[in-house]
Amino acid sequence: MTASSASPPPSAATDTSANDNIQPFYLLHKASSSKNSSRKSAAARRIDLTPSKPSNNSQFDSHKAFHSVWSKIDSSIKGVLRDVNNNVFNEIHTWVRQSFLEITSSGLPSFAEATRSLPILNHATSKQLFTGLVLIKNMEFVDDLLTFEELGVCLKSHGCHVANLSSRDFSTKNGVGGCLRSLLRQFLMVALDAADISILASWYREHGNHDSPVVIIIDDMERCSRSVLSDFILMLSEWVVKIPIILIMGITTLDAPRIVLPSHVLQQLCPSKFILASPAERMNAVVEATLVRWCSGFSIGHKVAVFLRNYFLNHDGTLTSFIRALKIACVQHFSMEPLSSNLGLLAEEDSNDEGEGPDFSSGMVAQIESNLACGLTELKRSQKCWGTVVMCLYEAGKYNKVHLLDLLCEALDPNIYNAVASGTHTRSGKGFDITSSSNQSVAQQYWRKGGPISQVIQKVRDLPAASLSQLLKSWENLTMDILEIHDKVKELHPMIKMEDGMSLKQDFTGLSKRHTSRTAAYIKESKTGNEKAANLITSMISKFMKPIECIPFHEVVCFKDVEKLQLALNGDPRRRIQVDLLEFHKFLQCKCCNRTGNVPIPSMPDTSIMYTLAQEHGDLISLHDWYQCFKSVVTNPSIKVKHKGKQQSPLRKKRKETNENENKSESSIQARFCKAVTEMQITGLIRMPTKRRPDCVQRVAFGL
Amino acid sequence: MRPLTIRHFPLNLNFEAAATLDDPSFNYQNLARNHRLLIMGKEETPQITRRATRHSSANVSKNETETKASDQPLPPTLNDLFLGEKEKPISLDNVVSSFPGRRVQIIEVMRILGPVNCPMVPLFVYGDSSTGKTSITNQIFRHLNRPFVYSSCLTCYSPRILFESVLNQLLFHRKNAANGYSSAKRCEKPSDFVNLLREALVSVTSSLQGNSDKSSSKKLCRRACGNMIYLIFDNLELVREWDKSSTILPFLFNLHDILKMPEVGLIFISNTSPDTYYTSMGYLEPATVYFPDYTEDDLRQILLLKQENKKLYSSFLDVVLKSFFRITRRVDELSTSFSQLFRKYCEPLNDLGVVPNEEMKRRLFSTLQPHIAPAMNEIFKVSSQTSTEGGATKHKSSSKKSSLEVSDQLDLHMSTSAKYLLISAFLASRNPATLDASLFDSTGGSDNRKRKRKPSEKSLDLKESAEQELMMKGPGTFPLERLLAIFQCITSVAEGSFEEEEQENDGIGVQTGDDSLMSDVLLQLSSLCNANFIVKGGSCPLEGSTRYRSTVSEDMVLKVARSVKFPLSKYLYRR
Repeated sequence: MTASSASPPPSAATDTSANDNIQPFYLLHKASSSKNSSRKSAAARRIDLTPSKPSNNSQFDSHKAFHSVWSKIDSSIKGVLRDVNNNVFNEIHTWVRQSFLEITSSGLPSFAEATRSLPILNHATSKQLFTGLVLIKNMEFVDDLLTFEELGVCLKSHGCHVANLSSRDFSTKNGVGGCLRSLLRQFLMVALDAADISILASWYREHGNHDSPVVIIIDDMERCSRSVLSDFILMLSEWVVKIPIILIMGITTLDAPRIVLPSHVLQQLCPSKFILASPAERMNAVVEATLVRWCSGFSIGHKVAVFLRNYFLNHDGTLTSFIRALKIACVQHFSMEPLSSNLGLLAEEDSNDEGEGPDFSSGMVAQIESNLACGLTELKRSQKCWGTVVMCLYEAGKYNKVHLLDLLCEALDPNIYNAVASGTHTRSGKGFDITSSSNQSVAQQYWRKGGPISQVIQKVRDLPAASLSQLLKSWENLTMDILEIHDKVKELHPMIKMEDGMSLKQDFTGLSKRHTSRTAAYIKESKTGNEKAANLITSMISKFMKPIECIPFHEVVCFKDVEKLQLALNGDPRRRIQVDLLEFHKFLQCKCCNRTGNVPIPSMPDTSIMYTLAQEHGDLISLHDWYQCFKSVVTNPSIKVKHKGKQQSPLRKKRKETNENENKSESSIQARFCKAVTEMQITGLIRMPTKRRPDCVQRVAFGL
Repeated sequence: MRPLTIRHFPLNLNFEAAATLDDPSFNYQNLARNHRLLIMGKEETPQITRRATRHSSANVSKNETETKASDQPLPPTLNDLFLGEKEKPISLDNVVSSFPGRRVQIIEVMRILGPVNCPMVPLFVYGDSSTGKTSITNQIFRHLNRPFVYSSCLTCYSPRILFESVLNQLLFHRKNAANGYSSAKRCEKPSDFVNLLREALVSVTSSLQGNSDKSSSKKLCRRACGNMIYLIFDNLELVREWDKSSTILPFLFNLHDILKMPEVGLIFISNTSPDTYYTSMGYLEPATVYFPDYTEDDLRQILLLKQENKKLYSSFLDVVLKSFFRITRRVDELSTSFSQLFRKYCEPLNDLGVVPNEEMKRRLFSTLQPHIAPAMNEIFKVSSQTSTEGGATKHKSSSKKSSLEVSDQLDLHMSTSAKYLLISAFLASRNPATLDASLFDSTGGSDNRKRKRKPSEKSLDLKESAEQELMMKGPGTFPLERLLAIFQCITSVAEGSFEEEEQENDGIGVQTGDDSLMSDVLLQLSSLCNANFIVKGGSCPLEGSTRYRSTVSEDMVLKVARSVKFPLSKYLYRR
């Protein structure tokens, strides 16, 4: 894809410039204009990035910029996620080794014994299957698909034989054969139609494979077919002496095995529990890597951040969708913002310190360069400060379990910053001073009570001395690059350390009589230490934590259009269909229907007529009545319009004026009726007649 | 190599030719039989004799095989059909003593198997799981040193694999990389199986005959194994669940008649009684041997068998066996739970070889006692202990304690709308549908105790019994519409507070207003179903629409409700 789009043929280029308002390449976007859809396949693949004043070059640039930025974000996300799970993976690996030793402790059976199905007489417990239950702490499973894949890779790199199975392999349709087949395919690299576990046994003994364990990972155990899974486990447990199989299963709750498996199968499992990082932890890590550290040069505005946070908390709750949302935001930013292509360069500049790559040659970029260069570097510098302060806050917030995403939302809010900044400026000028407590009290009133930032500051005030000095140390590390803050932190740290030492001494003499007076003094002093730290962070916030939206030129790097993102992510509720059916003329904009109010007329679409008619009914709609009304509307426009005030059944009158063409069109009307009913059923507005009431359909009244 | 040369002999053997063979095992009496073997070899395929070759060569190199590295893939031989070949044959007394309480059954099985070369009726061994059926059968064959083919219907999960597994063993075929892990013969239909089986059996029995002749003449210290071959089908009860069970089961039972070979003995092992294979086909009724559950004394002896310090273990059994015996009699279940308990029991001891006296027993008992009851409850459960080597989280706490630890908060990430959905599903499952109106209607509201009248004694009783019934039935089912209606109600109630909170939290409620929780509800529902919190039940027979049922425990829902600050108890129907 990149290769083809890197050098777009001229014909395509002219084509694109002809059509001005093409929406870019996003899958989730609303359908693009009809011109675009007419040229299909190859052209559709190609990216038509067309800002309002397009030149072929900039198109190419912004596309490339997107790719370079997104690949950066993507790789950093992947790296972070890998690191998050590292501990658990190591834990699992040692457990696998240990279990393997335990299985093989009784000695390997001979080749002949190991490959035939005759059970080896042994102690009863030897049939137990070592099972690692990996708790995924999320109801949704999507995030962990990758995790389990990586777990497999990790174990493989340690020399285990690994097969990844998923619930698709455990379907009732294929039975045990299905999962055995996929097992053999992964281990033996052969596809067999009669898969048999004895094959696995002979493979295991054949090629000198037998000094490492066989690990089978089932990533979503709860979705497996119960009977197949229990058959599979029983079969494995019969062979576990001959093939040292270790099972790893992903579950959401610890009760899951008890619910899914019958007791005689549970009996065969010897479980151990492992816990993956929770979604919140991972979210913290991802947000840190992508948005706070500003590795890519792409950032989001406050409203977008709030939207993303709410979306994560209220709707989907998966990291996958968060990342997807971020990607959509990124894509939209690049498509909307003509200058955004510079962002890619900015990011590139970041990676290779030379500043200007060969891509700068074009005239436009050079011009932009002259205008923007200093602005952007300034932006970058300030973003770095901002990120550092946010990280400091987060570091302190860890003691209070504050999530980085919440913190981010507040830290990005330009209103708060403006208020705080103006407040501090009026009161104490350009004070960046630890000791002045006046400015922080002023600032305090702008952070909402209970908001994450004020929570963090409160926490800093309450921290015990030991963790405070730890916190300062981490601050020192974090602020390494920004001398101004670094010095202040350094200044403060020895003070705290001294107190720390004192408190240690105090512990020894704690039982003495002077205890009380000492403690009082100590508390006072430590309070001042905490107070100083709190003041430091407050002034850091007001001085350095400048939200990106308060910085000139932020439009280049910052995505702010929350409505677009919302449109792309949130589907319309079903209520929308109902409203649209009633207000169809907004879409059709025909002359014939827009003047009528709520009265159905024949020129309306059939489904709209039907839905309007259905409004008159209650929960149950009698099909016969409905049809008669429909027919009357369709056949007799004039009368209907005349009688629109009355609404009482016009059927009788219609009957009388029977004309030939009605008879002829009866069947066509019926067909239209049926079609409309089916459409309404498909859109979920009605339910089909039940056996109990064959002549009625039921309205589904929910606008969910 | 000798049989190969025999093959090339002319049919009219003369005595000189035979006598010139420098073979002590070759005596004239066997000539006639050798002759027969020869003819058979000619009649069928030359394969037989080659196999016989392999067999005899394996016989010679038997001692070497044992010393060789065990993972050297040798081609399978006739020897693989014997259990008593590789391991030392054991005496009958040994068999009986290693299976306490099974003397009667062992003798009965032996009687049905009969002496060497005696045809037998099919044998049907049954009894509960973990009563020693498979082990005893195998040990008997090891003792008798007779050839058999074992296949478990658990491992062979389909007719094809069962058939091919039997044939592979009879044809001395082993799947390996060289043959692409394929079977010797492809066989899917019972009729094919009969033909192939007969062929294979004939060849095996004939080579067995040759074998027995030779061995008797060679005076090898092996016992005569006869020319019978036995087919053992284990876990037969599983066949009933196969797709083609209606044809396979009668076929297997009938196999003896179909084959019409007296040299073949059939043994079925099942954990259900023969009555459960209700097939009234006219086949020969198999001889049955029932393995009853072990008694407490038997269990004690079995569990003591492999212990080093029998005195100590027996004092341990004194403490635990009686109470556990009331719960389960399965040896495997008992031994797994006892192995953990015994470790606990021995914890205070330094020397495991110690012979406990009364006082020590008392002391050990008092340390063990708190662990017994949880272990007893856990016999049907997974005790998910943290891996000790990981040491990441605190462990060693009994299951009770750990459940207390987590009770406070939900250790599962769910989006808010999924939480509300779960709560509404729980309500829909627990509350009777008739109550919905009064609970969620704004007029009915939460203060519905106003209209409570004093009910009569009778109606109270009725209510009680209805309540009981409801509890017995478990969570009820509900249609999707009801779920969504409740969802809409409780979110609209919660929305007020929810939104305020939201406003407080981040200033601008960017999107909370119009569609805060409503979109994607069906998506959430499907992921709840996937996580087994809600079960999609069968469809209602009258309406034809899918019904759902919530399976989560009340504890969990309470936790969820607490996390979204939803007053669940106000909406929960209790008597």
